[in-house]
Amino acid sequence: MAASQPFKTAGLLKGLMAKYYEQGNLARERGVPVAWVTAVSPVELVYAAGLFPYYPENFGALAAARKVADKISMAAETRGFFSDLCGYARCGLGDAYAQEHPVGKIVRPDLLFCCNTQCGSLQKWFETAGRLYKAPYFLLDAPLIENASTELVKRYFVEQLEEAINFFEVATGSPFNFDRLAEVLDLANEACRLWNEILDMAAMKPAPFGFFDACFHMAPIVTWRGTKEAVMYYQELKNELEDRLSKKIYAVPDERFKIYWDHIPVWPKLRWFSDLFAEHGALVAVSQYTHSWAYQFDLDRPLESLAENYSEVFSNRDFEDRIQLKINFMKKYQIDGFALFSNRSCKPTAFGLYDKRKIISDRTGLPGIVFEGDMSDLRYFSDEQVRNRFKIFFEQLT
Amino acid sequence: MTDHKTIKELCAQFTRIIAEPNLEIQRVHAEKPAPIIGFLPTDVPEELIHASGAYPYGLVSYEGMWVNRADAHLQTWACSLARCSFGMALAGKFDYLSGLIIPHICDTTRMISGIWKQTRPYDFMENFVLPRQVDRPSARSYLIGELGRLKARLESFMGRSIADEELQRSISLYNKNRTMLRKLYQFHVRRPDLISNLDVFNAIKSAMLIPKELHNVMVSELLRVVEQQTHERNTDDAARGVRVLVTGKVWEPPAIMEILDESGGVCVADDLSTGYRYIANDVTENGDPLEALADHQLKRPPSPCFVNRGQDRLEYLVDKVKASGARGVIFLHLKFCETENYDYPLLRDALFAANIPNVRVESEIGNVSHGQISTRIQAFMEMLGGEEIYGS
Repeated sequence: MAASQPFKTAGLLKGLMAKYYEQGNLARERGVPVAWVTAVSPVELVYAAGLFPYYPENFGALAAARKVADKISMAAETRGFFSDLCGYARCGLGDAYAQEHPVGKIVRPDLLFCCNTQCGSLQKWFETAGRLYKAPYFLLDAPLIENASTELVKRYFVEQLEEAINFFEVATGSPFNFDRLAEVLDLANEACRLWNEILDMAAMKPAPFGFFDACFHMAPIVTWRGTKEAVMYYQELKNELEDRLSKKIYAVPDERFKIYWDHIPVWPKLRWFSDLFAEHGALVAVSQYTHSWAYQFDLDRPLESLAENYSEVFSNRDFEDRIQLKINFMKKYQIDGFALFSNRSCKPTAFGLYDKRKIISDRTGLPGIVFEGDMSDLRYFSDEQVRNRFKIFFEQLT
Repeated sequence: MTDHKTIKELCAQFTRIIAEPNLEIQRVHAEKPAPIIGFLPTDVPEELIHASGAYPYGLVSYEGMWVNRADAHLQTWACSLARCSFGMALAGKFDYLSGLIIPHICDTTRMISGIWKQTRPYDFMENFVLPRQVDRPSARSYLIGELGRLKARLESFMGRSIADEELQRSISLYNKNRTMLRKLYQFHVRRPDLISNLDVFNAIKSAMLIPKELHNVMVSELLRVVEQQTHERNTDDAARGVRVLVTGKVWEPPAIMEILDESGGVCVADDLSTGYRYIANDVTENGDPLEALADHQLKRPPSPCFVNRGQDRLEYLVDKVKASGARGVIFLHLKFCETENYDYPLLRDALFAANIPNVRVESEIGNVSHGQISTRIQAFMEMLGGEEIYGS
């Protein structure tokens, strides 16, 4: 029900992602080192260095969406990794040990580049993978920003970006090309601009596009950011959405309510949730998650600008800032209620939600709930419990 | 016999402090009032707090009954260390604190500070935002800056500036404490019959709960008696027991050390935050004190919370086992401690590859079966060297 008619660009997306995975598999043969990277990290540097950026989180999300995350995780769990670790990490580590590869084999890294702005789980997962594959590991460290960023944090970030460039030069054996970086940043700016214009269309009432659609279409902004492919893709998607608007094709045909979602989707339940909301005429319009890729880089000061963009994302902000960012989205998208996902795989986004729910309701007057589950592992998800919690939530939307 | 009793009496002081930590700090506070500033264990520059004129106070003595008190604010799949500290705060157990410093060492510490500030704030609520990588030059310059920031915040709260000489004096005082505790640790390794596992770990933990001036007097008295006694006997009374290395975050619940004592195990090395990691290295006493504090933090023994490609924890632990003569390793893990969980399988494999037997013991503050832990530790001790415990 998310979209009454399938997107034409869906075929394009499929081809684009197939090409991405193919490049990953061929990279080593072509003499291009594979760098594992995290979703919210300056991949622009990696592309500019001529390395192939591989996203193990994407592998985790893919396994989750195909409902095999728990199966792949088991291979890690029997080795002593615990079921309460991040579901993506268990998948990524599990696949290295597994005999069967239901979503293809995870590509082994020649080097690992992790930014811990999202969480400390990635920091540990990548460190563990570095030990496992005996590959060099670089942590781009993001100290939490309270209130406003400081010169101290910015300087630290820039200094680390310079260290990262050295790290990449060792891997490629050639000097880093700043002209190439400028091209990449320019393309990243363009893709981010288009992506955010698309996300903003969810504020229309009724809207042609919502959060669950964004989850489907977000892969290129993560993996192809900084390339022509991403720009081309989001231009096509935007054209299609404009075409849909003119034909009055909406995400939820009888849209009555707009919902804010926090933060990541429950991947194996994407359709389930999409239907649940649509049944009540509700469109999940926005989440901080899909807005993570909203960078605008200043080409005249590339490293400083990369530092500002990546260290100041919401996942690196403190309690009060995160509340305010959520409320800003609620205002901008004229939200009627909000659902906060206490994601067992993700302590940094989950911890604090119990208090935030109350504070946001107090400040905005909007109804909101917290529900428990896991973004990838269905062993931690109860259809019945979640449905019951949402039943009460929908009753408050009037 | 008199001496032996005296050692036990002196050690009992540490036990008493840990059993009711609020009594001693409040007594000190009544005698000489100054703000008490708490900290979560233990990557915090206590010397700065001390030099500001406040009393540093570690939140390291846990009352398991308060774990569930935090449930309305914090998911039950947070570690019991965080849940218990915060639960105790909600129950008013730390109301005598004027401030709290939370070191960012994992996702839980990073997130709990906002919740704490929201629900049970003290006048001075600060994070110590540590660099999570420790072996690149950028970590050092950032950490010096962060220490400067924290210093300025303390100065503003205390309404006075901290002179370099004052900070140097605090550093010397703390170095003296660490040096003496290391000496005590070595006595324990040689003579566990005089200084048990519980004794030495209590001595270290109690150092976080009372002013170092007082603690230094206690430890120096204890060392004097221990030295006298070993000297008088003048025999190298080779230690009985099975030498083990303990690795993990904290030794909770404390009964674990009693169980180890009863099973004939001697902890000869550890990397616990409330153990040897707290006393492992000193702060350089000359030069810029903030730079010295930064170097001290960066050169602490490897922990799963910090990326250290220069000295990976895998090699560090294997080397430490060899250097200390430990015959096996006990992983002491708190349930839901992510950083330890990620490290464990490869650490275990590295130890087995080096023919080092090891066992994992999982505990949870406020919800623990002493019987189960006891059975695991005893079985491991018997496997490592039963004849040394029961024989001769």
